This record gives sequence, C-alpha cells and structure tokens, in this order.
Amino acid sequence: MRKTMLWIASLIFLALLPASLLAQEKMISGKVTDSKGLPLPAISVVVKQTKKATTTDTDGKFEISVPSNGTLVITSTGFATQNIQVPASGEISVTLQEDFARLDEVVVTGLATSVKRRNLANSVATISNKQLQGTAPAQTFDAALNGKIPGAYINANSGAPGGGLSVKLRGVTSVFGNTQPLYVVDGVFMDNSATSAGLNAVTGAAAGGNISTQDNPSSRIADLRAEDIENIEILKGASAAAIYGSRAAAGVIIISTKRGKQGQTKVSFSQDLGFVKVRKLLGVRQFTEETAGSLSGDPARIAQLKQQFVQAQSAGKLYDYEKEVYGNTGFTRNSVLSMNGGNDRTGFYFSAAQKDEEGIVKKTGYRNTSLRLNLDHKLTDNIKIGISTNYVNSSADRGLTGNDNNGVTYSISLSSTPNFAELHPNEFGVYPNNPFGASNVLQTIALMTNNESVNRFTTGLNLEAQVQKSARSTTRLIGRGGIDFYNLVTTANFPRELQFQTVNKGTSIQGLTKSLNTNYILSAVNQFIVSDNLEFTTSAGVTQETGDFNNLLAVATQMAPGQTNIDQGGALTAQQFRNKFQNQGIFIQEEVSINDAINLTGGVRFDRSTNNGDVEKFNAYPKAGVSVNLTRMGLLDNGFFNNLKLRAAYGQSANFPAFGSKFTTLVASNITGVQGSIVNIQGGDPNIDPERQSELEAGVDFSVLDGKLNFEISFYNKKIYDFLLLATVPPSSGFSTKFVNAGDLRNQGLEVGINAIPVLTDNVKWTSSVNFWFNRSKVTRLTIPPVILGSFGTSLGSFQIEEGKSATQIVGLNAPISAKDELVALGNQEPKFQMNTFNEVTLFNKLSLRFLIHWKYKGDNVNLTTLLNDFGSTSADFDADADGNNVPDGPQRIGSFLGGSARGFVENSGYVRVREIGLYYTINKIPRNIVRGVRVGVSLNNFFTWTKYSGYDPEVSNFGTGFSTGVDVDPFPASKRASFNVTIDF
Amino acid sequence: MKRIKNHGALILVMLTISFVSCKKEYANLNSPTVEDYLKDASKDQLNGLVTGALSGMRNNEAAYLDAVSVIGREIYRFSSADPRFVTELLGSESTTLNNTGFYLTNPWASRYRVIKNTNVLIEAATNSTQVSEAEKKGYTGFAKTIKAYELLLNLNLTYNNGVRVEVSDPNNLGPILDYDQSILAIATLLDEAKADLTGSSVVFTLTPGFTGFSDVAGFVKFNRALAARVAVYRKEWAAALVALNESFFAINGDFNLGVSHQFSTGSGDQLNPAFFPQDQNGEIRLAHPNYATDILPGDDRISKATLRTAAASNTGLSSNRDVWVYTSSTSPIPIIRNEELILIYAEAKIKLGAFPDAIIALNRIRTAHNIAVYAGAVNEAALINEMLYQRRYSLFFEGHRWIDMRRYNKLNELPIDRPGDDVWSAMPIPSTEN
Repeated sequence: MRKTMLWIASLIFLALLPASLLAQEKMISGKVTDSKGLPLPAISVVVKQTKKATTTDTDGKFEISVPSNGTLVITSTGFATQNIQVPASGEISVTLQEDFARLDEVVVTGLATSVKRRNLANSVATISNKQLQGTAPAQTFDAALNGKIPGAYINANSGAPGGGLSVKLRGVTSVFGNTQPLYVVDGVFMDNSATSAGLNAVTGAAAGGNISTQDNPSSRIADLRAEDIENIEILKGASAAAIYGSRAAAGVIIISTKRGKQGQTKVSFSQDLGFVKVRKLLGVRQFTEETAGSLSGDPARIAQLKQQFVQAQSAGKLYDYEKEVYGNTGFTRNSVLSMNGGNDRTGFYFSAAQKDEEGIVKKTGYRNTSLRLNLDHKLTDNIKIGISTNYVNSSADRGLTGNDNNGVTYSISLSSTPNFAELHPNEFGVYPNNPFGASNVLQTIALMTNNESVNRFTTGLNLEAQVQKSARSTTRLIGRGGIDFYNLVTTANFPRELQFQTVNKGTSIQGLTKSLNTNYILSAVNQFIVSDNLEFTTSAGVTQETGDFNNLLAVATQMAPGQTNIDQGGALTAQQFRNKFQNQGIFIQEEVSINDAINLTGGVRFDRSTNNGDVEKFNAYPKAGVSVNLTRMGLLDNGFFNNLKLRAAYGQSANFPAFGSKFTTLVASNITGVQGSIVNIQGGDPNIDPERQSELEAGVDFSVLDGKLNFEISFYNKKIYDFLLLATVPPSSGFSTKFVNAGDLRNQGLEVGINAIPVLTDNVKWTSSVNFWFNRSKVTRLTIPPVILGSFGTSLGSFQIEEGKSATQIVGLNAPISAKDELVALGNQEPKFQMNTFNEVTLFNKLSLRFLIHWKYKGDNVNLTTLLNDFGSTSADFDADADGNNVPDGPQRIGSFLGGSARGFVENSGYVRVREIGLYYTINKIPRNIVRGVRVGVSLNNFFTWTKYSGYDPEVSNFGTGFSTGVDVDPFPASKRASFNVTIDF
Repeated sequence: MKRIKNHGALILVMLTISFVSCKKEYANLNSPTVEDYLKDASKDQLNGLVTGALSGMRNNEAAYLDAVSVIGREIYRFSSADPRFVTELLGSESTTLNNTGFYLTNPWASRYRVIKNTNVLIEAATNSTQVSEAEKKGYTGFAKTIKAYELLLNLNLTYNNGVRVEVSDPNNLGPILDYDQSILAIATLLDEAKADLTGSSVVFTLTPGFTGFSDVAGFVKFNRALAARVAVYRKEWAAALVALNESFFAINGDFNLGVSHQFSTGSGDQLNPAFFPQDQNGEIRLAHPNYATDILPGDDRISKATLRTAAASNTGLSSNRDVWVYTSSTSPIPIIRNEELILIYAEAKIKLGAFPDAIIALNRIRTAHNIAVYAGAVNEAALINEMLYQRRYSLFFEGHRWIDMRRYNKLNELPIDRPGDDVWSAMPIPSTEN
C-alpha cells in the first residue's frame, strides 16, 4: 500500500509540469556586505512572489533578472531579511544587519509549513550546530543535548560508554506511557528504544522476573552524529506538536542535518584527541587491624581477619580497589571528514566520521562510525527532490554496574571488598576468589563482555513540487518520508572461570534485535495572498507511521570452556518480544497572516492506531495559536521595543496505551521439558483508553536595544487526562498489576529566555544567552489509592502517585520522628528550577571562548549507594564521626535505616556544572592556496561540578529512561572529558 | 490552470479514501491470552495450564524457604545486596516485618498466581466442549488440590492474619478469612478435589516429581497426604490418620517417597534457587549455629549442614556451616514426602494417647538416622518434644520448623542471637491486599 502511494505521488509530481510566466524583465546586479563592509558570499537573493533566485558569489556579488517593479528579498541565516525595491537603473548595494534576535529564523510549524520566529505562536527552542557540538563535544548525541534545552529535564542514566539519557520536556507526561520525545531527522521518525541485553540473568536485579529495566541499556538516538546536524528545533508540548499525532505526546525534537550549499566545494577535516577520566570517586575505608577484625562476629574469624590485615599491611598490599576499577584514563579520538558543495540545481553534503573512545573502566569504551550523504536536486524549476542517507555502526562496551542481587556487578562487588583483600591474579594469571564477596571485580572486568553493537541505516526522501501558480496563489505538493532500520546485537559473556559462575559454569547472553520504522507524509500546501496585508496558508495531508520491532534473547549456561556460542551451552533459555504498530493520520491546518503582524493558526489531526483498544476509531487532536506582533502593528512606536509579540497556543494530543495492555496474556512456564502456560502477573483491560493531553501556552517575546537584548517568556499549563497507571492490585487476584486510567495530572511551568550581546566592538564580540525554567507537577485526580512505584519500597524511599501531590514526590518511612509505619514526604525529584547560560566571546574574529553552565537547583535522588557501601563496611567515612556523637557514621547510618528511617536516602541532587568550555583559535590567513582555514581548540566537557550530592554524580538512573529517574544504586561513575581539536578547511 | 488544480485535489481525495480503507489489526504477537482459553480450550491448551501451574509453584519457593527458615532460626541468609534478611526477618533492634517486604509479597503473589492459573483451568475446562465430563473432573480435581496447597503455603506465612480464599473474580475478591476459616476452607477444597478425582480421567502429563502419583489413584494419594498435613494443623488427629491411610504413607517405606518440585536446565525451565554451592561468599545460606550444637551425637543429619573453610559473619551473626540440603542446581524440593507422613503419624498417635505406636514411628526415624531408639519419658509433653526434634532435623530447610514451633506455642524457645532480636509469630497481610 505504502509503496503504491509513493509511486502515485511521484507520478503526479512529474505529470504536473510548470507553466512559464512572461513579464517585462531586466537584468540587475548588486553587492551584499555586512555591517563592517565585508562581502558576504552565499546569500540568497529571491525575486519576491516568484521562484526566481540566485546567490551571491565569493565577492558578495549577484546578478538576476527582475520585473521592472519587482522587489528583491535578501536572506541569510543569522542576518535580518531585507526587501529591496528594484531601482530604475544602477547597481544595488545591500548592507545586511546581524539578526541578533533571530526573528527571521524560519521555524517549523506544521508537517509541511514553517514560519518566521517573529510570527511564532509557540516557544520553540532551537539548538545550532555550534551549541550542540561546537564547544566541547560529548560522546553521544543524547549527551550533547544535556543542559541545552530550556523547559527540559535531562538526566544521564549512568556514566557507561555509549549514552543513555532521559529527556523529559515540560514535566511528567506519563507515568507508564512514553515519557520521551519523538525524534524526527530530516522527516524520518527515529526509533529511540532502549533494549535490554538480558543482564538480569546474571545480576538478578529484578529477582523473579525476566524483564528488567535495570540492565542500563543505551537509548538508540545516541547513534546519531552531532557533527552532521545543522540545527535542532524542539516542540515541547501538544500546543506545538499536536500535528505529529500520538507519538508526539511527549514533544518532538526536529533535527535537520546539513545540506549542500551552492558554491565552491568545501572540504573540511576535523580531528579530536583527548581523554576521559572519572568525575569523582567516593573513596574507600582505610582499615586498621581493629576494624578489619570487626568485619566478623566469630572469634576465630576475627583473629584470621586481623592476621590477614597485618600481613597485607606489612607486605604493602593495601589497595584502593575503587581507584583501580574506575581510575582508568581513557584515550579518545574522533575524526570527521566532510564535503559540502553544489551548483544551482544540485547540492550535496557528505561526511565520514569515526570516533573511538576508551572508558574509565578497562575494557569498556565506545566506537561510532558514520557515513552520511545528503543530496538535493532540482528536477525542474518547480520540482525539488532531497535525499538523506545515513549509515551508522556503533559499538559500546558498557561493563557491568548498578543494582544486582547476586553480588556480581563491579560496584556491588566493590562495596563489600575491604582494602586488604587480595584480588590480583597470581603468576599464572589465575584470579583468587574474593573471600568478601560473590565476585572478584578485577577478574570480572578482565574476563566478561557486555557489548551493544548496532548497524543502522536511515534514509529519507523529500519531494516538493509546485503544481499551481498564479499571481495570488501557489500550491505545492510535498511528499516526505523514510525508513529507519537497525540491527542491534547485544553480547554478554560471563566465562565459567568467573567466581560467580560456579553454579552456572559460564553464561552467554546473546540478543538480536531488528527494528524497522517507516513513515511518510503526503501533503498539499496552498499559499493564497489576498493582498499585501493578508495571506492564507492552507495545508492538508495524510501520514502513516509503522513500526516493527523484534527482539530475540538467548541465555545459555553451562558453557563449554572458552566458548561463547550459545549452542556450546548445556542449558539454553530463550525469550522473544515483538511489537508492531501502524498509525495513520489525516491533518488539515490553516495559517493566516495579517499585516505580517498577526498570525492565526488552526489545525486538527485525526489519528488512529493499532495500539488503541478500537483500531478503527479516529481520535481528533486539534491545535490553535495566535500571535500578535505589537511593534509590527505600529501600536508601540516609542522606539524602545524593537519587537514586541504576544502569543498564545493550545493543542491536544494523546499517548497510546502500553502495548498489549488490552489482554491478559499467558506466559511460558515450562518444567522438565514440558511446555506450560501461566497467567501473566499483569492483568489486561479490554476497555483501556489512551491518555489525553491538552496544553495551553502563552507568552510574550520582546527585544530592545536594537535587538541586542531579547526576552522570550512563556507560561504553560499542560494537563494529562486519564493517565495510565500500572496500578498495584491485590496479589490474591493472581495479578500484581493492571493498567488503569487512574486520574489526571497537571504540569505548569515558566520558561524565560534572554539573548543578549553585551559587548559588540570591532574586535570584541560577546554573545550570551541565559535561560531559566521550572515545572511544577500535580496529580489533580486519582481514582485509586496512592501508588508506590519506581524504587525499592518505602523503607528505602520511593515515589508515590498521590492525589493533590506532586507526581514526582518521594515518600518513605521516617521513624522515630514519625510513627513506625507512617509514610511521610521526604522529597521531590523535580528540580525547583534550572538555569543555563551559553556564552561566546570572540576576540579579533580569531579567538573564541565558549562555555555552557548549567544549574539545577534542588530536586532529590534516592541514593542507596552509601547504604550498600555501609552494609559492605567499606564506605570511606565508615569510621568517621561527623556529628561527634561517638557513634561512627557507618553504623550510625545503618542504625538509622534499621530504626525505620528512609530520610538519609533522599538527597538533594542539585548542581552547578560547567558542562562545556572550549577555546578556539582560527587561522584564516594562510599563504598556501590549498588550505583555506585552520581552527585549533581545546575543550573540557563536564569538567567542573559543584554539588553537595554524596554519590558519584547527581545525574543517575538505575531504572533507565522511564518515569523514575534519580534512583542511585552503585552506578557506572560519570566521566569528564578533555579534548584537543584541529579543523582544516580545504 | 484550474483544470490542473482540480486534478490535484481529486487525486488527493482518492489517496485519502484508499488510505482510510487500508486498516490493520495486530493481535498479541508475543503470547496467547486468557480470553482465548476461556472460550473453548483444547486439551493441549488445558494441559499447558496444568504444566504452567506445576512450573509456577516453584516461583519464589526459595524466597519462601528463606523467610520461614530464617524466622524459624533454622538458617541465616546473608546477602550483600539486601540487608533485610538479617534485619527485619530477625527483628533486629526496632525493625519489624514490613507489609511491603519482598520476603512476604513475592512468595504471596507467586502462590496466588498459581491459584489464578488453577481457577483459569477450572473455568476453561468447564467451558470447553473438547473434553469429556470425566476428563473435566480430572482437571478440576488437579486444580483444586494444587490450589489448596498454594493457599496453605500463604496461610503458613500469615497465620492468624488469614488468607483470601475466594479469588476467582479479580474485580470482586472475597474477604480475608481468619485462620480457622482459612484452614477449614483448605481442608474442604482438598476433599472436593478428592471427590472430583474419584471417577475422573487424567489426560494430562505431570512432571517426574509425580512419579508414581500421576494417575488418578496416585494423585488421590498425594491429595490425601496434603490432607493429613492440614488435619494435624487443624488438630484433627483422627482425621489425620484417616487421610494417612488413603495416602502413600508407609512406615517402613522410603523416606523420600513423595511428590516434589523438579528443576532442569531445559528451555524456559528453572534451576533450584535454594541451592548455593558450599563455601561461597556474598550470597549465602548458613545453618543456624545451634543446628550443630543441639544435634544428638552420631545423627547423620549433620550432613545437611556442612563445615565451611571459614566462618561467615554479618551484623553480629556468625556461623561456620553451610546449608547443604539441596546439593545441586537440579535437586528437587519436596512438596510432601514419606518422612513427614511418618512424623505426622507419630504426632497424631501421641495426641490420641497411642504412645507405643508413636514411639515405633519415632524409632523408625531415629534408627534410620543412626541414633539410638527413644529412651526418654513416655508422656505427651516429652514425646511431642521428641517429635519436634525429629521434625526439625528430618525436615530441615523444607519450611516446617517455624510453623511447628508456632503450632505448639513454643516460638519463645527459639534462640535469640542478638539483643533486641524478635521471633515473629506471623507475617502481616501484604499492604496491597488492603
């Protein structure tokens, strides 16, 4: 069906050939310069209301034929657009002014339409390439977003190589549904699944269950190459994103990659060299003979331990295992070759890139190889075709960290290993068993593998044909779509020599995932100009998205020595998970522009999905917006405001019910080779409804001081109706949980953005942006009793969904202050506010200092790392006595927990972090002809953090990217990066 | 120009129509659904539910054994990942059993999950047109027996707090009954099952753990063995003897004759989670130190607690013996076996005043375990103590000690290892049941 439709669409485009226009024309030439008089190349010059266009050459000159009374529109990214009435004769000289307020920046408003920022009804955050990766490059794309999106709460799950971050736009969108935004790259909907490698078979983190969210997988959007990205637009809520349908309930991140530019082919080679180091170590307990003995209560054992300590001490064999495990300095390199060029009909962008990074733990690391080719071609003056292709191969060795019930992860093993234990291999390379834990961490690191390896191919097609053209009306047909396909291989090998493999005698976990996503949009856009003051843009179209996900996971144990192939195992269990969906949408959207000052937008999308209870029913998601530019209307003519706009927007969206929540399934439950079925612990509900969402956003944007100081202030009220909760049901029903439409949620928030140019002289330019934002969530209605979820129970601190309370509140026991079994609110995961500032100071157009500072004020984590180290008697301050009460801190904390208090685990995870800082020097006067420019730079990524948080890093999530981020259970420590960069332009 | 515009619009409309008519529905791709089974289940589908129940009975079996054995001071369970084995279960300092604790909620939910499966089996078999009446009775007799056993395990945990017996409709659960009502309901369920099985036809395959008990007659014997256990719990001594007579009780028979949970390395199967190798660190089960100090000299049951190369300690607890009851990852865990039946016989006989019969049974146990015949006082109190000693060592880490001491109000005789520890008499009802 899909193929047929694309064929038909292409045929239509080819059949409708353009009609030529005849008018009185003359040739005109001109020159475009910047405010300093320097010529500007590659500036677009268009004859207004025609498709006739050219670009300036390297001297800033252009020539074009124009109707005698025509107008030229001169545009370029970063400069304010100028309209020039064609003079009777002579050369035109145009001086472009920098568009500090970015008012002329074009922003996406629909599936096939866009509008200038000055007329936008929503607050749409944009991130340029320079902001994304031009300061201090991060390891993966998702990490590069961190701290850069106002209105977002972004949190890294762990420091493991290969990424894995949670991005939540404007608060809690859903508890069990999708909380992550939709990523669209050049019109292709990207899969962002996090697929577990099945480590639970070894760690038993989710004891009793096979499926675990505690395996610390990466999110697949990490595969994307930040270097290829031109810019990113973020539609944060339904008021902007409704037109994308149900998959956009948590917002949309629209990514545009670089396209070919007309002119001489530019070849650029960039090389990064650097290192990664652990951001922070917790330290280890310094044992004494006395404290070594106190590890046991048995007199014989005490004597033994004391002797062991004395021997180790006199032999100089007291070790800092934490440092030994996490103290590796990883070497990083990244090479990018890109080419960019084209003529007036065809443009291309090509890049080939490879990065290879070691981790802070030996034998961990990340490798990514990417090829991209973007082609644009004008078939005729009226038909344009654009093709994007990207191949990525990535491989991440992520180690074994985090929660665990078998004592096998690096971190849990470390937590019970004192400094006088001997874990190093003997002269034959044989590792001793760790007498203090279930595993020898050095042996585990040396022998195990946990790798995620991806081959991904993404391609998109964009066809645009002008099918009708008259003096007042232009109609275009736009077809856009693509496929995103990847193959993910997860390999987790635990050879039989490992201490903890004495029962299983080797475990090999092999996962194979195939994911295919396709989508297309066919739309018609009509632009109807009634007069210079009134313009209508009508768009309508159909969309379809499909997904097909298939995950096979095989766990083999009793492995033949040295073998990892699963058929070399003595026992094999297998799991398969498949997910398939098809969504279809029909949309119409009308945009009205009055006087280029008042913009009205209205649209509706009808959506249906195989994920819904009723697969045939179309759900309607409307949106509407209005923006009034008071300065353009001439209402504010006092000269103080350069631009003042009031705006409001409203939209609705919905999140799908979780896959399979309609049915009560029977799962395999075999015994002694006989197949059996047992009811799933999750009960189904045939009447489940999707979560509906409505968002109202209002704001004011203004700029003063010649556009050198710009403000964007938005308030939003996002309501989620009938949100889905995996409600705990009485287990005597046979079920533990069941999806119910449990109630309503609300998110309210404020976003303030300031862009400024504090200094602008011939030799010094300082641009600065400051963003401030916060979100407050509240459960406004709950039809079931409060639900504890997302952590390890109330004695350790847990989230609780409760009417009238914040959706992210953390509750727990608080004895002896409260009654023994009374739950009290101990904190809230939501930050009180966040701020960031991005600054660039340029000196003499050559030396550029850029930095990004991110401040998260408050917001709590559930930190269980210290408790686990206390229970293992290895925390650094175990013997300290901070409060001077003569009870050592370790036993005191244990005592507090045993006394029934979870207070100590709920910890402020606020921080101020210099996320990125980079210093670059550009050499553009090089005598040799072959090299046009050289840029060298040094950068630091996440190097400086100020926090009172006691764990490895305030950014952590034992449970991955879902609802409950911020639970800290001995994670992979976060790392900091430094790199040196050379870029050569040919 | 206008013509072209109209064509464009027309084609767009056609596209939209063809698109709208192109609809799909994906069924559940990953697993069958209960809704399907309830319509008209085939014999194979019903048999799958039987196997599923047998397999599911093992879920969290080790968690159950750990919990009752730790509270009953049979074992220590040390875990580097979870401190609650040595805190809440032993009542250290001011900690108490928590109604959200994993040691309660996990086994409790797993038992009710099997009960759900048996209820689905009963309903599916009843609705099925593909099996005969006799075959239906075979399914319901099986289902009710298993259901009764699973309810009993939960009642063992919550004791006076009771269990919920009527749970077939998840949206309309019955009340939580008190202990006497609960145990009566379990006894009644076993009797109903026996009635169903009489004249039934068994067309399903049981596991090797049911060898000798997988036909109708054999399964009834298993059912009656459980009934005998329930009868002594209810202090129905005469009824216990009646049930024993219809069970596989054999005073001179093999102690291990009986029904057990099986484990294997097969696909989708489980390994015995109650097995830990000896001399491990981190995750370990140790015999309580007084297992070795209280044992009679020469008693061969000391082999269930082997000496470690080094003692293990945790928060003031220490032991130098590993639990060594399940000695491989595929060792079976008994559900009920002849050694227990012999001791049930002894108990019922003591309570009915038939001391010589009881002593015969006790001596059968003693001699088999290499200790001299009983020479103690012949009165009820002394013999009950002797019977409890034999149960302690014969059924070590099979989940009996705590329940036995509770039945005889002797929980205060269990050792307190650290000042401030408590011996609990019952677990609370899980918070999620309220």
